[in-house]
Amino acid sequence: MKGAIDIGWMKLLAGYLLLLIPVVFFRIYRTGLVRPTLVAVGRMTVQLLLVGLYLEYIFRWDNPWINGLWVLVMTVVSSYTVIRRTGLRLRLFLWSVFGATMISIVLIDFYFLGFVIGLKNIWTARYFIPVTGMLLGNSLKNVIIALDAFYRRIDEEETSYRWQLANGAEHNEALLPFVQQALRKAFNPLIATTAVMGLISLPGMMTGQILGGSNPLTAVKYQIMILLVIFSSTILNVWLTIRFSRRVAFDGMLNLRKDIFEERGK
Amino acid sequence: MIRLENIGLHFDGKQIFDGLSARIPAGAKVAVKGESGSGKSSLLRILLGFEPSANGKVYYDDTPLIPATAGLIRSRTAYVPQDLGFTVFRTTRELFYTPFRFKTNRRLMPDKEKVAEILEQFALPADILERGIKAISGGQKQRLLLAQAVLLEKPVLLLDEPTSALDEANRVRVAEYIMQLPATVIAATHDDRWIRLSDMLIDLDEQGKTLAK
Repeated sequence: MKGAIDIGWMKLLAGYLLLLIPVVFFRIYRTGLVRPTLVAVGRMTVQLLLVGLYLEYIFRWDNPWINGLWVLVMTVVSSYTVIRRTGLRLRLFLWSVFGATMISIVLIDFYFLGFVIGLKNIWTARYFIPVTGMLLGNSLKNVIIALDAFYRRIDEEETSYRWQLANGAEHNEALLPFVQQALRKAFNPLIATTAVMGLISLPGMMTGQILGGSNPLTAVKYQIMILLVIFSSTILNVWLTIRFSRRVAFDGMLNLRKDIFEERGK
Repeated sequence: MIRLENIGLHFDGKQIFDGLSARIPAGAKVAVKGESGSGKSSLLRILLGFEPSANGKVYYDDTPLIPATAGLIRSRTAYVPQDLGFTVFRTTRELFYTPFRFKTNRRLMPDKEKVAEILEQFALPADILERGIKAISGGQKQRLLLAQAVLLEKPVLLLDEPTSALDEANRVRVAEYIMQLPATVIAATHDDRWIRLSDMLIDLDEQGKTLAK
């Protein structure tokens, strides 16, 4: 099968001209977004080029230890990003988020790559790295939404939270409405996107596979699996993160610690 | 018996109260009085272990309020806060029934007749549980939470400004009903009638002087 047509470096530069459209709009409406957009695109370019370079070697070596190390680095960066974006204190939350991410990734990777795809060696770079990357990338924004919604809501609705405890709730019981809200907030967009997939959007992975020369039906099957995998790994990740971080986020009397938020902890 | 020993509270270096001690016999009706900012609501929170910066000791009978006993003590209290946001709950029904779903309260889940009876007692519309949480007034929400606290049949009721959102007729009705309950009732209040009906007064304007009436 033929792969996708390569994009020449000059053509890639020509592609960057498309950036003029948002830049012009941002300038006209004086949004202050021109600089952040250019910085973000610059970062994205450098990061992806570096990743392209790394991946070329990682695929060539295909060494389980190096692959594992690569995923470990991705997990650390992902955990760091989750905590930074939620405004929670890194020192308090890093282990909880990292542990939850690691466990959810390992469990789902083993099931998907080992059982569903049926790989003899799940550490095979060509599968292990992109699938894990996709899981991390997709669960990242949902974990951010859920974790932020969970702790911010408890802080804002402290009276409701305490009212439940003071009326006999165990900790799990008092947290239940907040967990429900956090999950609804994180999963509603994912459910909505999933429901219209194929109608108004063609997902990136499927498009990539088709461009790469895969049979469209194979690409569709992978896409279906990857969405199911994203659902499972995200919920596991969110649940474990909340579960692990509770130990550091509440004091002995079950009060939410005020110093868990970066802006107040300094 | 609830015992407060040498309770103090400071916020941002400012002393709210200090050296507050009191003995509250079982079944007593206690009014906590004081100007705004005198720490009335904080005192109720201290009694529940919700003020991490407070010092001193609180005992329920001979059990000290510490992390290991907080769950047990809170299983014997009912609390109605002053801030009636509760937007984490979507419906009035959810708000009303939530505490009855807690493991410790399940046996108290009221049947329809009991709910209808208590709603009537607190002058609440019979269909209030069918309404959205934002569709009921502050006074209704307050009476609903008080009615719920009564149904929880706890030996200790902690009420923060229990009549602040009520009109005159409902103030009388609620105060008289709560005062005849066998429970210990500790209420932070500005309401003169409530203070008159209480057996004890903790006056935070007078540095927590406790007056048995």
